[in-house]
Amino acid sequence: MSADNQDDASTLLLERVAAGDRTALAELFKLEAGRLIAVARRIVRRADLAEEAVQDAFVTIWRKATMFDPMRGSGRAWMTRMVRNRALNMVRDGQRMEFVEPQMLAELGDAGSDADLAYEALPAASDLRRCLDQLEPVRRRSIVLAYVGGFTHGEIAGRLKAPIGTVKAWIRRGVIALQECMS
Amino acid sequence: MSREERMARAGDYVLGLMDEKERTRAERDMEVDAEFRDCVIHLAERFHAFDKDVAPAEVPGDMWQTVAARIADMPQMTAADIARERLDLTTLQAPDPSRKGILQLKRPYAHQFAGWRGGLIAACLIGALGVGYLSGQAMGPAPEPVVVVVLADEDNAPGAFVEAYGNDAVRIVPLVDFEVPQGKTLEVWTLYDRDVGPVSLGTFGRSTEITLQGPDQPMPQPQQLYEITLEDAPGSPVGRPTGPILVKGLAVRPPR
Repeated sequence: MSADNQDDASTLLLERVAAGDRTALAELFKLEAGRLIAVARRIVRRADLAEEAVQDAFVTIWRKATMFDPMRGSGRAWMTRMVRNRALNMVRDGQRMEFVEPQMLAELGDAGSDADLAYEALPAASDLRRCLDQLEPVRRRSIVLAYVGGFTHGEIAGRLKAPIGTVKAWIRRGVIALQECMS
Repeated sequence: MSREERMARAGDYVLGLMDEKERTRAERDMEVDAEFRDCVIHLAERFHAFDKDVAPAEVPGDMWQTVAARIADMPQMTAADIARERLDLTTLQAPDPSRKGILQLKRPYAHQFAGWRGGLIAACLIGALGVGYLSGQAMGPAPEPVVVVVLADEDNAPGAFVEAYGNDAVRIVPLVDFEVPQGKTLEVWTLYDRDVGPVSLGTFGRSTEITLQGPDQPMPQPQQLYEITLEDAPGSPVGRPTGPILVKGLAVRPPR
């Protein structure tokens, strides 16, 4: 199924979930759970935490399905946001601190290189890729680390060895330039 | 919000750089500020390019069963529940849901009417309302509001009382003296349909009781959002709130 068809299918299924249909949620799970676990894993790093984030997100999707408004974007994007929010809350609560044990590092991989890979995987013709390409490298990298890896301003400052105020300014200028470019 | 500020804030929201309180506030603002909402939606859809074609991870075989068991007896939230939760989260206080005040309001305002402080506010309300709805019922034929709203500020303190009638009119009773600098005006808004967006009910220049005749609109409903913003005189030039929100609240149907 192409991504666009899947957008439409997920949107229709979500509208059924909003009407109280649990089988529609089961179908959505079958279509989306694997992709959503992969998205969460880029943020929380550990497979078990990523699965927990997606499980929690599906419960939230059930509870809050009436919030979904197809006028405001696709069902897939809405579900992705639920998963991202849950994963971000998990790492903000400090659960990512556990991973610092050395023996786990290799298994977990590096969030920074995941972010690079995600950037490289963006279709060259997409507006996002075209406009990110036009940004200064540090601004681009800060934005990609924040979105893909779920890093805070402080964590990005640590990684890029720059003052936090500078990182905030890079991101602010960067997202404004990005929106100007994509509009 | 300036255009740059709006884009920067949409960026922080979409990138996930807000804490939970900032995020909830941004989501509430999206309900009333169409430009901010459009900005966020546009950006979020573009960034979804990072997520939509990710290679799927393996899904544990029993995972759906776990989800299904968790939602088996779980009711879904109604639109009203969600609006109430959003309003609760944007304020810092955690109201006690068991308490009800003189108007039988449920959260989040009920605690404002409890205790001696509540007594003062209640007295203030009754005094300010005059022949309004509280005494109006005893006085007979005065028209009754379809819904009433206590509009509260960021700290959840009541700032205005609004009665909305079936003929598109609203009666505003300020409970505090809103400061209206030179060149500014107070504008009253309601949101009866997210697709329509916020609708202006009119403006008033001073913090005194006033009845405004709004444009043609559906019958006011419980849970309908009302708010007052400070705008450049003679009123928002774009037909959407642009200035700071002074007070806001959700409508309730008064007990008969």
